[in-house]
Amino acid sequence: MMGRLYLSQDTSARAVGAERLARVWAKVPGLELVRTSSRGAIFLEPLVEMDGPHGRIGWPNAGERDLPGILQGENGTPIERIPYLAKQTRVTFANAGVTRPLSLDDYRTHGGFQGLEAALRLTPQKIVEEVTVSKLRGRGGAAYPVGLKWQAALETHADQKYVVANADEGDAGTYCDRMIMEGEPFRLIEGMLIAAYAVGATEGYIYCRYEYPVAARLLRDAIALLTEAGYLGDEALGSQARGGGRFTLEVFVGAGSYVCGEETALLQSLEGKRGMVQAKPPYPAVSGLYGKPTLISNVLTFATIPAILARGGAWHASLGTEQSKGTIPLQIGGRVKQPGLVEVPFGLTLNEAIEEFGGGMAAGARFKAVQVGGPLGSLFTKSGLTIPICYDAFSRAGAILGHGGIVVFDQETDMVELARHFMAFTADESCGKCTPCRVGAVRAREILDGIGLGRRRPGDLELLADLGETMKAASLCALGQRAPYPVLTAIEHFRKEFQ
Amino acid sequence: MNRIASLLERARAADPDDRPPNILRALHAVQASLGHVPQDSVPEVAAALGVTEADVAGVLLGYPDLRTRPPGRHVVRVCLGESCVANHCGRVLKEVEKKLGVRLGDTTRDGRFTLEKMYCAGNCAASPSVMIDEDVHGRVAPASVGALLKDYR
Repeated sequence: MMGRLYLSQDTSARAVGAERLARVWAKVPGLELVRTSSRGAIFLEPLVEMDGPHGRIGWPNAGERDLPGILQGENGTPIERIPYLAKQTRVTFANAGVTRPLSLDDYRTHGGFQGLEAALRLTPQKIVEEVTVSKLRGRGGAAYPVGLKWQAALETHADQKYVVANADEGDAGTYCDRMIMEGEPFRLIEGMLIAAYAVGATEGYIYCRYEYPVAARLLRDAIALLTEAGYLGDEALGSQARGGGRFTLEVFVGAGSYVCGEETALLQSLEGKRGMVQAKPPYPAVSGLYGKPTLISNVLTFATIPAILARGGAWHASLGTEQSKGTIPLQIGGRVKQPGLVEVPFGLTLNEAIEEFGGGMAAGARFKAVQVGGPLGSLFTKSGLTIPICYDAFSRAGAILGHGGIVVFDQETDMVELARHFMAFTADESCGKCTPCRVGAVRAREILDGIGLGRRRPGDLELLADLGETMKAASLCALGQRAPYPVLTAIEHFRKEFQ
Repeated sequence: MNRIASLLERARAADPDDRPPNILRALHAVQASLGHVPQDSVPEVAAALGVTEADVAGVLLGYPDLRTRPPGRHVVRVCLGESCVANHCGRVLKEVEKKLGVRLGDTTRDGRFTLEKMYCAGNCAASPSVMIDEDVHGRVAPASVGALLKDYR
């Protein structure tokens, strides 16, 4: 045997050459190629690894011709000495780049199911208390205390309850849910199993966006494996005699509607209807899918649950800041040198994220602005970078952390064009239920079109501000409420470009 | 059109008896088989599911990825998500439009490619991204567009 190498099968790794390497190297006799998840240091992909005496050794940005050298062990870098990875606190992504996504053995030997086993020893109420003590807040964007949601779903009596994972990761600039689904689908499902046991649900769905076909396939394979192994199905949650029982899970694929990432629209879509936002209350935990109590959370939230049950809510609450406990996987993109996923406790500053992890600006690029929290997130300039990354500081600044996406723009970015892009997006994606969002986004885009073409009229900026205020105040969901922020912050920071 | 009826029978079987028919699932099944959902199939779908034509049309037109026109053999989706915008994906889009000779939303005359935009391929750490069918391509430079398309006949 010649040797064993590790190579990620994550979409981003494949997108930058891992698949080509795998194809070519598959023909090399005696070479065993193990396809793992990705460490999230996407700027190093394709990252080829080998077992060394003290952990893995890596060859970043590997090409086809590097194989002989790699097999000789020449010039490799010990993975643990890569600063980008060494400085992180990996919890939810602890096994990223290490294990094979669909290997139950790998999952078990790397801590898998410890959370579920701990949960099955507790009463449902005790599990909910553990989640409450952890102070975990929903990671999809709304940051609602997860314990409260679970308590409501537990307390609502019904003949049928559901658990739904929101895998409609539509915020541009974010990909951590995709990495969980492609890299460690068992962790997501373990979190859902714990939730099902806690609130008394027997059926679950993972609503996966259409743009993630690989994730949907992997999830279906993972469900088949877990069903065969008895983790899903009739005795998924222990014997019925001991209060456990059945839990089944299905993957449902959406069809490209951004608004379906909003929980009430998502549930409509899951029922097969048009994805329209519904007024709350009632909240899904009380009346959700088919009118039944439904615990719906984002993928990352569920994936955080196993560690909380395995290590205790108090452990989770010991990480992070006063109002933001635990870790957050930041997804750093745009014009930085080292784009990728970074899991750290809440509290580091935006500047630290960009400089220490992002590695500063890419060659030839100068910093102009950064957007945090997806297409509805506010823009920050240099002076705003001292803000600590946590829910409290962001909400005080009128901004959002959203799903943890950070996109850095360089000096070549035209702010009018960018603002127009934001409003074109909102106009495309508005579900149309609220007039301010449906009409306001189109009007705002039209005005920005005009400014971009040099046909600015008096009162344009005032009208944009007015439209923005109306959308914020009179839209039901975050799309209409938040869409004005990136545009208005662009005008605030770069007013000259709009005049 | 018999094909649609049998497709829907299968899709309908996936719905438990106590629940209303899942229109989106049914339309996905039609699209998976035919490549698109012909607009004139709406009455037939409605009849097979026992819902109104308005219900079906509302779902069909409410989702950008349900197609009412047949796509080309390959669908090229240029990502316009923020990280791609930051990495100047407009230049990539222009090059793709030039190479294919079509604008966003159109299909090449030989039926080989349909060009679309997408808001985020989830490949933001390797922007700009172009998704062709189910393959995501990252760090796409305008100069590499030609070679990229060549692999899809």
